[in-house]
Amino acid sequence: MPRRYELLSILLAVAALGACERRQLCQAPDCGTLVDAAIGEPRTLLPTSAEETTAQDIDEQLFLKLADVGPSMNTVGDEDFQPLLAEKWEWDGPLTLVFHVDPRARWHDGQKVSAVDVAFTFDAYTDSAVASPFRAQLKRIASVTVRDSLTAVFRFRERYQEMFYDAVYHMRVLPAHLLRSVPRDQWKTAPFGRQPIGDGPYRFVSWQARQAIELRSDTTFFLGRPGIRRLIWRFTPDMGVAITQLIADQVDVREQILPPEAIERVRTAPQVKLYPYRGTVYTYLGFNLRANGDTTKPHPIFGDREVRRALTMAVDRASLVKSTLGDIGKVPPGPMSSLLWIWDPEVRQLPSDTVQAVRILNARGWRDHDGDGVRDRDGQPLAFRIMVPSTSMLRRQYAQLLQERFRLIGVHVEIDVVDGSVMQERTTSGKYDAAMLSRQNNPSPGTGIAQSWTRAGIGGSNVTRYDNPEFDRLVDRAISAMSRDQAKQYWRAAIETINADAPGIFLYALDNVAGIHQRVDNVQIRPDSWAALLRTWRIPPDRQIDRDRVEP
Amino acid sequence: MMAWLLRRLAASVAIIVAVVTFVFVLIHLAPGKPCAVGEGITDPEICRQLVRQFGLDQPILVQYWRYLVELAHGNLGYSFALHRPVRDAIADTAPFTLQLAGAALVFDFTLGLGLGIYQALRANRLPDIVLGNITLFVYSLPTFWLALLLLLLFGEKLPLFPVGGASDPILCPTVDSLYCLADRIWHLVLPAATLGLVGAAGTARFQRSAMLEVAKQDFVRTARAKGLPERRIVLRHQLRNALLSFITRFGLTFPFLLTGAVLIETIFAWPGMGRLTVDAILQRDYAVVTATALIASTMVVTGSLIADILLVLADPRIRIHDDAVGDIVTA
Repeated sequence: MPRRYELLSILLAVAALGACERRQLCQAPDCGTLVDAAIGEPRTLLPTSAEETTAQDIDEQLFLKLADVGPSMNTVGDEDFQPLLAEKWEWDGPLTLVFHVDPRARWHDGQKVSAVDVAFTFDAYTDSAVASPFRAQLKRIASVTVRDSLTAVFRFRERYQEMFYDAVYHMRVLPAHLLRSVPRDQWKTAPFGRQPIGDGPYRFVSWQARQAIELRSDTTFFLGRPGIRRLIWRFTPDMGVAITQLIADQVDVREQILPPEAIERVRTAPQVKLYPYRGTVYTYLGFNLRANGDTTKPHPIFGDREVRRALTMAVDRASLVKSTLGDIGKVPPGPMSSLLWIWDPEVRQLPSDTVQAVRILNARGWRDHDGDGVRDRDGQPLAFRIMVPSTSMLRRQYAQLLQERFRLIGVHVEIDVVDGSVMQERTTSGKYDAAMLSRQNNPSPGTGIAQSWTRAGIGGSNVTRYDNPEFDRLVDRAISAMSRDQAKQYWRAAIETINADAPGIFLYALDNVAGIHQRVDNVQIRPDSWAALLRTWRIPPDRQIDRDRVEP
Repeated sequence: MMAWLLRRLAASVAIIVAVVTFVFVLIHLAPGKPCAVGEGITDPEICRQLVRQFGLDQPILVQYWRYLVELAHGNLGYSFALHRPVRDAIADTAPFTLQLAGAALVFDFTLGLGLGIYQALRANRLPDIVLGNITLFVYSLPTFWLALLLLLLFGEKLPLFPVGGASDPILCPTVDSLYCLADRIWHLVLPAATLGLVGAAGTARFQRSAMLEVAKQDFVRTARAKGLPERRIVLRHQLRNALLSFITRFGLTFPFLLTGAVLIETIFAWPGMGRLTVDAILQRDYAVVTATALIASTMVVTGSLIADILLVLADPRIRIHDDAVGDIVTA
């Protein structure tokens, strides 16, 4: 054999041996590896700055809250909440809440978790230098103080129904001994955010930039050893690739499968089981109530409440949902996702009534005077542009369907497809006519609805600049109500008010469908955070596959 | 030669500075801002604070001057979107892009040269005609379409290769063993093949023409008349002379591979600089966009320079005029 072929043979043999090298196999009772196909990579895992869903999912495993919402998603009072870091709590008067930290809790570096950490956490979350996106949600808490090493005292500024929710839901307790020395204005870029030390059921292992983050179960976790030993978040920039990875059995979890056609694709993979659960997002066509580019004047079309109502009535939302989303979408009864406990299909909404829509437009002077198929008034055509983000095929599809519906009643619509940052800039500055917008809810109706639809949200999330004092008053009352029934009544009145004003057409609320490898047992998904109960998932020994037994 | 090289290096630096300036201005003038209240951030004060913190509220000239000063100190700036130094983000991703572009280059030229030579030796016969049509077909395929097709075919339907990523996150978070090296190569096959296949089709057509052009030369006819074996004529005389056009193509291919990598990395979830750039553009992460333009233009200019130097070394007929900046002329 010629010398060069000998060399090649040796190289190939070494490569083959390398490929066949044996790894150690896991023998522990919790063997198991769960790989999640995550869309996008977190910027940091420091909870004060963890804005992205993936960061929050990972932080669920690393950092504990004092308590968390239960399966009912009830955010009123404290009876449905489940203890985590706090073993118990009690009310000390109407405005004072006392938490007792579980004495068994430890940071992953071995230090005890204490009430000092709790007070430090509140101080950090509310510090403007940290610029936490959760800061606004803590504004009703006046202070958090330390009574003794395991007792933290929360004092509120006022009494309202979601005091307990505000105290526990937005903050994950941070290790004061590790973060105290880091200047607050440098927290967003602190190394701790890429190598965090937490107190949750999983420990941080590694972060391969733009590839994956790995966690390992904390076998000494005080609330019980997690069921699966390794968790890996594998980053993928594209939903299509993530779904293909799931079908090809290269990942175990894709927590949200979109679009609806993809669900059918996943259904063909025998190893994947589908789990539907309530969604957190609703999508609407938002009308800019102020003139395009000049927020001091009303919009020539959408400034007229009757015209907005007519446009809303021209759209058959139920048939659109049925034809585009099938079983995974619902028509929202107002500006809300199906996550919220105030979801009530019986709430009064504008009917789908094209005849009435045409009648209203005629009455408001919008008629087709020149016979070109488009209504006009004083020489101005009834025409506007809908802005759509380039990243969402679904919203683009919906915009096209709306364009057709409006054409049928003599309204001319053009669609502008723009990228996300352009869309955000234009909606914030008011340089648009109408936009296909989505909003995500957390379990409290107060937070999202107040931010996106009350006067307080103008300049922020209220990009339609909807401003109705009666609606604001009803929302305030609903938030301040001390009983769930009373709150529900106010919410209903508020939603009916905004529906009647029609600052947008509330088009669809998506339900989520997760695809999870069928070998995973005891799958529990909490709708607001699919990963919140991950520590309870299991892979029984008789269902384990090769990747469950690999020791890295 | 040395004077030419120095002048060429100076011109390269000028080109890079011009590209960086152009990209810096362009991305700042593009609509959209790095932080806007919307579907993620709901508090406008947070945006204002972040913009202030990163100096993005300053006039563009001030920002540009600061950027140049930082650059002169070897600092590529801080990523607004990633919350980390741009240097670290580039260091994490550039090796992956080089691996991908390198593998694609090998794929491109190995396959392209082989096919080109084979076609030239059987010019105007059935194999040449068939291969000519196939290479034309492949050359006209959109890269993204080919990528999706290969992904669906060899990732999902016939699961021979991994669907995206650079390594198996379970077994090989890092390349620390022979097994993991094999795993990296296995992950590299589909993206490199996609990127290299279209290029190989072009290279094959290019090489075939070059070979046929050389075949008409007198020295080839003379070699044949001398009774040299065909293999020696092809390898020693024909191919060697046709390689000059190959070197030229090398210089042209490198930029194509880098721009192609932007798309391929996104489709195959390859953690390289292309994906970093796309994300940065979408998020208006000015510092990262400018830095990736800097790195990419440096790579392209370097590739072009290497090609020119190789051309001079490979062909003794080529002479360099002392007063030439970028031109090389044949004697």
